[in-house]
Amino acid sequence: MKYILMMNTMKAGQGIPNWASKDLQAHIAFMMSLNKDLRDAGELVSAEGLSFPDQAKLVRAGKDGVPITDGIFPESKEFLAGFWIIDVDTPERAYAIAARASAAPGPGGAPLNMPIEVRPVMSAPPPEMM
Amino acid sequence: MKYILLMSGTKAGVDGYHAWSPKDIQTHMAVLQRISDQLTKSGEFVATQGLAEPKEAKLVRGEKNGLPVTDGVFPESKEFLLGYWIVDVATPERAYAIAGQISTAPGPGGVPTNMAIEVRRFASFEQSGSK
Repeated sequence: MKYILMMNTMKAGQGIPNWASKDLQAHIAFMMSLNKDLRDAGELVSAEGLSFPDQAKLVRAGKDGVPITDGIFPESKEFLAGFWIIDVDTPERAYAIAARASAAPGPGGAPLNMPIEVRPVMSAPPPEMM
Repeated sequence: MKYILLMSGTKAGVDGYHAWSPKDIQTHMAVLQRISDQLTKSGEFVATQGLAEPKEAKLVRGEKNGLPVTDGVFPESKEFLLGYWIVDVATPERAYAIAGQISTAPGPGGVPTNMAIEVRRFASFEQSGSK
């Protein structure tokens, strides 16, 4: 079963660039070690980090099909910061991996315990929908 | 440059989708499939994926003892990711144009949904675990 683990952040919470470089290095090393373990276990499908929310755009097609972009978001909006797609046997395994990612170290090496959203990804749409 | 195009909606919005007629869903899916085919032909397609329904979403936080804590309770205003496209394009404008195309996918009665698509660039400095 494939799951996506999503790390979300508020715009106000984008403090990562202000971390000490040692803290940032420890955080990235933790994530790389997690990815390596998942890859070695054959559970990693993909993992990506996204650029910061200040570069996010919202696109909506106008009536003539021309895209309209807008980078204005409500303060409460959650931004996707990064995600993992994993292929695991049970939902419990997906939750355990999410818990490990959640405990990634932050400033001073303290676990962030950030919330990780876990969602099954859909298999192919049913034939009658195609 | 790689971009991810995110299609999101609230739980109420997803419930509305269930009321679509099978014909409308088929037309909608066919248009999205055609967009993916065109992106494959132009060499810009990387991946696309639909997510299972918001009711299956869990929120996990690592506890001090390392055991996962799951919670499926979300505020009504929460936007859930419904699906995404990853594209590899030469310019941001091209990413916006593709998002615009996806945004025009038809809804009930064939009327364009004009749904909002969030466009985000992949970080180039961070770890990438993709195979």
